[in-house]
Amino acid sequence: MGTPAGFLRCDSVSKSFDGRVAVDAVSFEMGRGEVYGLLGPNGAGKTTTIKMVCGLIEPDGGAITVDGRSSRDLAARSLVGYVPQEVALYPDLTAAENLSFFCRLYGLRGRVADERVREALELTDLADRRDDRVDAFSGGMKRRLNIAAGLLHHPALLVLDEPTVGVDPQSRHAILERVGAFKRAGMAVLYTTHYMEEAERVCDRVGIVDHGKMIAEGTRRELVAQLGEKDTIDLSAVGNLEELAHTLRGVPGVEQAAVADGRIHLLTSDGRSVLPLLIEAAGRLQVEISSVDISEANLEAVFLHLTGTALRE
Amino acid sequence: MRAALVIARKDLRQRVRDRSAIILGLVAPVAIAALMSLAFNGADTFHFTLGLVDQDHGPVATALRQNLELPALRRIVTLKVLDSEAQAREEVRSQRVAAALVIPPGFSAAATSSASSALHTLSSVNNTIAADVSRSIASSFVAQINADRLSVATAIASGSPTSRAAVLAAAATDLRIPEQLVQRPLGAHPVKVVSYYAPAMAILFLFFTISFSSRSFFAERAQGLIERLRAAPVHPAEILLGKVLSVFVFGVASLGMVWLVTAAAFGADWGAPAAAGLVCASLVVATVCLTALVIGLARTQRQAEGIASAVVFILALVGGNFVFISTAPSVMRRLALFTPNGWALRAFTDLSTTGGGLHTVAVPVLAILAFSGVVGAAAVRLAYRAVTA
Amino acid sequence: MTPIAIAKASLQRVVRDRRALFFMIALPILVIIIIGATVRGYNRFSVGVVDLGSGRAGHDLVAALADSSDLTVHAYRSTASATTAVARGEVSLALVLPASMDAGLRAGRSVAVTALTEEASTTQEAAYNAVASVVASQGSRLQAARFATSVQGGTLDQNLSRAASLEARVPVVAVETLQVDARSNTLPEGFSYSTPTMLVLFVFINTLTGAASIIETRRLGMYERMSVAPVRPRAIVAGEAMSLVTLSLLQALLIVGTGALLFGVSWGDPLAAATLVVLWAVVAAGVGLLAGTLFRSPEQASALGPTLGILFGMLGGCMWPLSIVSPAVRAIGHATPHAWAVDAWTALIARGAGFAGIATDLAVLVAFAVALMALATWRLGRRLV
Repeated sequence: MGTPAGFLRCDSVSKSFDGRVAVDAVSFEMGRGEVYGLLGPNGAGKTTTIKMVCGLIEPDGGAITVDGRSSRDLAARSLVGYVPQEVALYPDLTAAENLSFFCRLYGLRGRVADERVREALELTDLADRRDDRVDAFSGGMKRRLNIAAGLLHHPALLVLDEPTVGVDPQSRHAILERVGAFKRAGMAVLYTTHYMEEAERVCDRVGIVDHGKMIAEGTRRELVAQLGEKDTIDLSAVGNLEELAHTLRGVPGVEQAAVADGRIHLLTSDGRSVLPLLIEAAGRLQVEISSVDISEANLEAVFLHLTGTALRE
Repeated sequence: MRAALVIARKDLRQRVRDRSAIILGLVAPVAIAALMSLAFNGADTFHFTLGLVDQDHGPVATALRQNLELPALRRIVTLKVLDSEAQAREEVRSQRVAAALVIPPGFSAAATSSASSALHTLSSVNNTIAADVSRSIASSFVAQINADRLSVATAIASGSPTSRAAVLAAAATDLRIPEQLVQRPLGAHPVKVVSYYAPAMAILFLFFTISFSSRSFFAERAQGLIERLRAAPVHPAEILLGKVLSVFVFGVASLGMVWLVTAAAFGADWGAPAAAGLVCASLVVATVCLTALVIGLARTQRQAEGIASAVVFILALVGGNFVFISTAPSVMRRLALFTPNGWALRAFTDLSTTGGGLHTVAVPVLAILAFSGVVGAAAVRLAYRAVTA
Repeated sequence: MTPIAIAKASLQRVVRDRRALFFMIALPILVIIIIGATVRGYNRFSVGVVDLGSGRAGHDLVAALADSSDLTVHAYRSTASATTAVARGEVSLALVLPASMDAGLRAGRSVAVTALTEEASTTQEAAYNAVASVVASQGSRLQAARFATSVQGGTLDQNLSRAASLEARVPVVAVETLQVDARSNTLPEGFSYSTPTMLVLFVFINTLTGAASIIETRRLGMYERMSVAPVRPRAIVAGEAMSLVTLSLLQALLIVGTGALLFGVSWGDPLAAATLVVLWAVVAAGVGLLAGTLFRSPEQASALGPTLGILFGMLGGCMWPLSIVSPAVRAIGHATPHAWAVDAWTALIARGAGFAGIATDLAVLVAFAVALMALATWRLGRRLV
């Protein structure tokens, strides 16, 4: 497991455009072998932050270092692999020519370059299309190639900007799997998204950003627990609900139980562990449950709680 | 530096694959120069057929006819003897002859006396210049006769008695008009139409690459490709340099090819190779600077296209790529010298007419480079910002 | 009505496109001015004069040259600059008036005026003849004055004035010019030349370039829209054609108006001129529509449009009158609609013809328009299905 020892360190980084604050004193660290997610709605400042990490934009305040080097140094850029949100490939060049070009840009030449190109094409399942122009590729193929182009130089830090926007579920799954593989290979992966499920699934730690500020940070569990969100369970049932509710209040882990128009609302610290006890108790009291609705505490709820707004519009 | 070369190589590869680039860079200018060469083949020479009607058959008429058949005039006039004035009118109207000269009956008698008479030049509205030249030739012929008559009249007017008129007339025949025109050839060759328009069209289409290159920069920027380049360990200056290099190489190649083809196939004379090459190279430098300027000024692909078109066509118009600048009013010729192409066309004209070398093109090349320097200095900062934006 | 809606949308896009506006408004006017100012050289010779201190005799000669209807005189300060001018073709020849000219003539000598010429240029030889006749007539006055002075006395200047005043009265052997026809085959010099020819050229180029790119970018959206809206291909084609004709007409009207108001161009018989303008707009629209089905991308349109436009313009007589090229080239030129349009304008403007006078040209243009529109509609209809 990677330690949070800062391979990438952002110290109080700020950036404004025309008087509008895009990033406001954002700080976080991440290490190798870790997937760090920046989660936030559109316009939160995620893209600006990672562009600063990649050295594309100069921060107005604060400092960013990659392996101890300033992000603005060319040396730092050799360690970073950037995969932009939009496909950035030359449509009139072939897949192989595109990859070859990017290899050369990173100082890879000759046999090493050829090997990396071959490796990338195989990894993305595009080996048989290497001599086809990119403008003839499907959207999914372009995306795979787009990601491959950022990996050619075997970067220590991979930065992915919303890599699954507009992507079909199958490809999304493949991409998320791939991210896991990168992490296991020891890469540091910085991942931005506005999809809560992805952040929950693939990131070790998450930084929640909104309006340019980092409003919360930590592992999923820490975030959820930090704010004290519970699980809620909604039961629709027929029978003596009051008695059931009363009984359930005594169940360990249930903090609250209330009855209202044919439904029982429960507040628990862990809905999944309470559910079997709940069903058993209902059975004993001969209450027929017609539907059970468990809302797990999740990052969406955390975000909602913190900001009053939704992650996705 | 290395990255600039990598980027330039990629750009050139893309350019070579694009058929529009080949059409604009090579096919179009050659086609147009070919067309002009074809259209004006033989237009460099001035020659016409002159109809002659001799209704007099006297000695003076014969002398006039012999004058018209002198070798000196034969280079510009072919004489066609016609039978009547009516026939001459018809021939002129249908332009089977460009103009006609009619010697009326009694011409010789009148010429040797002091009576007035007139030769008629028949002219068509479609070829006034041939008629004018015919009239000039005839006028020169009768000038001495008229001069002698005027001399006698002036003498009488200044006090000589009229009874002496005959004596004076006899004395006047020994007189000769004291002003004469003498020809001194310079040894310069007239500039051939194709030798002017081959470079002119080549330069016009070279300028079109400004539009092409600046547009493609913005297309790449919109696709996030410039940003991707910047995320690599590449300095923004190298990105700009790479683009500039590719424009330079393509420009030189394009101009060079048009030069070769028009010289070989249509006999266009671009002048001494070293000198012409220097002019071409300096023009490409100017083109590169203009491209950088357009990139620096525009914000989007559309804007780039608009600004580039305006720049290209205004430069081409003012510089004389569309009209033979030598025949333009002097104010226009002076304006042309504010453009790099105006200087280049002047250089090519001088090279092909005087057969000069490097010294002939020294001033034009310096002027073009000065223009490039001014534009480039203004552009460099702006273009750099376009790359890092 | 759908075609009108489509036409309106297309026009709105063009109006917002600044590049298109430059090509449609600013550039044509600029070109008209420049070509109008330059196209004057077909009926006159340019000659240079270097006065090395020739005195009154020299001034008189220069004045006489300037008066001549076939010559335009340019003064140069030195022989070197005049030589360069001759080499560049700015003048056909350059006269050098020697310093001793006036003195020598007064002293009774003969004076030679040197004409600097290029080798092997017959244009220059023709100019030489024109200059020679002016020199001769100047010289006659001097001969007369010297003769009178030597025979009768008085000063040379007195006798010069006498000779000058007698010139008109002495019976001479004159050379008179009679014009045998009035049927000009070329447009008059200057703006009356450039405006009609540029009208033909620019309406063609702009419709060709603009249309192709509009249609191409439309094509992609059209396919989707087709599957949803109940719009027939015919309506779309009609809409595109309408927008192109409107575009061409607007461009044409701009040039006609500018020509008449700013450059004093008279466009001839109003009905015939109007018909010609409308017909040319339709021909151009036809070409544009056809181009839209042939060009594969907007970039191709921007590249090939001006190129083909210039090529056809040259062939058709928009850049120079076809009367100065060989008959073979003139015949090839008449394969383009441009040549017929320029012929029609020449008839209207230079010969004052009416409708009947341009009937043949109009008929040919109608044939072009019909053929182009038909071909374009057929191809476009197929592409939209």
